[in-house]
Amino acid sequence: MPPKGSKKGSASAPKQTLVLDNGAYTLKAGLVPSTSANPSYDNCSVIPNCIARSARDKRTYVASELSNCKDFGELVFRRPVEKGFIVNWEAQKAIWEHEFLEASAGEGLRCNPKETNLLLTEKPNCPKELQKNCDEIVFEQFEFAAYYRCVGPTLNAWNTSSPSSLPQECLLIIDTSYSDTTILPVYSGQLLQSAVKRLNVGGKLLTNYLKELSSLRHYNMLEETYLLNEIKEAVSYVAPSTQQFCIDLERTWKGRLGDKRTLDSSIVLDYVLPDYEHSSHGYARPHDPAKSRMRRGLQPQQGPREDLLPLGNERFAVPELLFNPTDIGIQEAGLPEAIMQSLNSLPEALKVTMLANVLVIGGNSLIPGFMERLESELRTLVPAEYLLNISRADDPIKHTWLGAARFASHPDLLKHVLVKKTEYDENGSAWLARKFAGGGAK
Amino acid sequence: MPHVEVLPNATSAAAPGWHYVVDTGFDPSKVAINPKDRKRAAARGGPRTDNELSARQQTAIARRIAELERDNDPKQSIPIPSKSGIPKTPNARKIIQYQRQIKHWLDDEEAQLALLQQVPQPRAAHLRRVGTIPQALSEATPAPPGSATPILSGTPGEQIDPMFSIESSMPPPLDKAELEALLAVPPLSFAASHVAPPAPGGPPQRHFCDNCGYWGNIKCLKCGARVCGLECKDAHESTRCLKWT
Ligand SMILES: [Zn+2]
Ligand SMILES: [Zn+2]
Repeated sequence: MPPKGSKKGSASAPKQTLVLDNGAYTLKAGLVPSTSANPSYDNCSVIPNCIARSARDKRTYVASELSNCKDFGELVFRRPVEKGFIVNWEAQKAIWEHEFLEASAGEGLRCNPKETNLLLTEKPNCPKELQKNCDEIVFEQFEFAAYYRCVGPTLNAWNTSSPSSLPQECLLIIDTSYSDTTILPVYSGQLLQSAVKRLNVGGKLLTNYLKELSSLRHYNMLEETYLLNEIKEAVSYVAPSTQQFCIDLERTWKGRLGDKRTLDSSIVLDYVLPDYEHSSHGYARPHDPAKSRMRRGLQPQQGPREDLLPLGNERFAVPELLFNPTDIGIQEAGLPEAIMQSLNSLPEALKVTMLANVLVIGGNSLIPGFMERLESELRTLVPAEYLLNISRADDPIKHTWLGAARFASHPDLLKHVLVKKTEYDENGSAWLARKFAGGGAK
Repeated sequence: MPHVEVLPNATSAAAPGWHYVVDTGFDPSKVAINPKDRKRAAARGGPRTDNELSARQQTAIARRIAELERDNDPKQSIPIPSKSGIPKTPNARKIIQYQRQIKHWLDDEEAQLALLQQVPQPRAAHLRRVGTIPQALSEATPAPPGSATPILSGTPGEQIDPMFSIESSMPPPLDKAELEALLAVPPLSFAASHVAPPAPGGPPQRHFCDNCGYWGNIKCLKCGARVCGLECKDAHESTRCLKWT
């Protein structure tokens, strides 16, 4: 039961809203004034949503403190968000306190929750018990003055070209993020729940897959999640087509015993691993077979030691999982077919309009070749007479935050969805859950 | 939960051990038997059945995917820095102290749904349930002033949005009642939101060498993994064979 005895006289609405897109990998956060300013990407801070511990310097890094870290070797991560949902409140609370409440808060993020609204995003299909935990912590532990929780990607409907208090009519959001890739048809800012689809492939799986492959083929790198994520971001690309995938696979094959082939150095790279003494970050360069042989114990007598990780088919076979999850046995259709699964459950008129308004967000969409492959494969699945209009947000990581911030800077829109702490104290969390049910800002 | 497919059996008379099969679409007649390994198999005492093999493969794939999808390593716990604020209510304390992982919450959700389906709902309860959905929705979605259309109000004679009348020159226009019904659907459970497997009739599943990532045309009969040739066969045997089972 929530505690009674909330103070009277707090009738005036807070003048600012903490807009928080609480991702599994990063928080996207910013304070937005309740007066109609026009928020931009610049108002959004991206903060690692983790607590990291280094066995080497015995330091614990909370969220933004990670930027002080120089040695990422064997860094262990604790993430409060699992599969996109806030699961561990001990860790999430510590991170929120560190980033929004205490002196450690970043510029323009520190606030007093009692004088601040919270607009918090969540992933679709969140288990109700986790929603309840979240609502109770927001009001009972943090004591925000007022609060609204909704499915984050739906707020992209407010990213219209001109500042407007009307959401975009029809929008098909493809959110390819750390935890997974979700497909969300949104009508007037409201999620069409029955057509939401979730593909079990996200940035986390891709990083772990690259880690597994590299550890099998070259070094044991199973403790090097940070590094493998960095390598993934540096070298991955999506093959333009299934045919090109096959060609690139040939070009990067070593051949058989007695029939050795030369690796195609236009694809195969050597990643120079950081040593965490002279360098905190590595870099990629074209594959050099001679240097690669040196790697195997023939280090130069003088000069800096170089550790090289050769990357061939890993570069494109890893992100290929977004298009062919069955490649590693995940029995789900690839992204283009998954999008059609979602749309085919809608009336034809809606399907047509959704296809003309496809917006891609999330970090995986930045992998070179991703958009081209998605568009060309989707085109083959869409009836020829239908318009297909697909684009990636200018900043696919901050775009949901921006939509949320634009929504939050309309006082009249916000007023209708916010729930005040006094209301929560009076009615409790089951009432609040019903109030937030429905999953979209409208 | 990942969906895992039981691979069709490649052979009905396979001895265990290091048998590799050129995979040509699961044709049992293409099975090659390595006589050297037959001795090893005999030493171990009798062949395994195919169903065992498939179950093992299934387990192996599921374990591997679960490992790739994991968010946190339960073996490596990082203590929270001590300056963290104290819980303000007993309820908050309880939530903050939960050490459960996402799979526990999802299992709970599934168990509750299964319970709802098993137990025949009393009529009254059922009616109440149906009744609450639209109510909850209308509460959750108040139309802001100045917002275009009261989607859920269904005013008679209301015009369909012009965008649709232009776009819908091919398909029939959007039916208002149908749209309202669609907007009133409650969220799916997490498990129900997963993408379905690829449609039958699409391209066949691709198989890759477990060691180097090239095409895996040869199948390890012991664990079901694929390799590209002899060199990778050796590497597979000394590293990953049976790792996930
Ligand atoms: Zn191979
Ligand atoms: Zn094997």
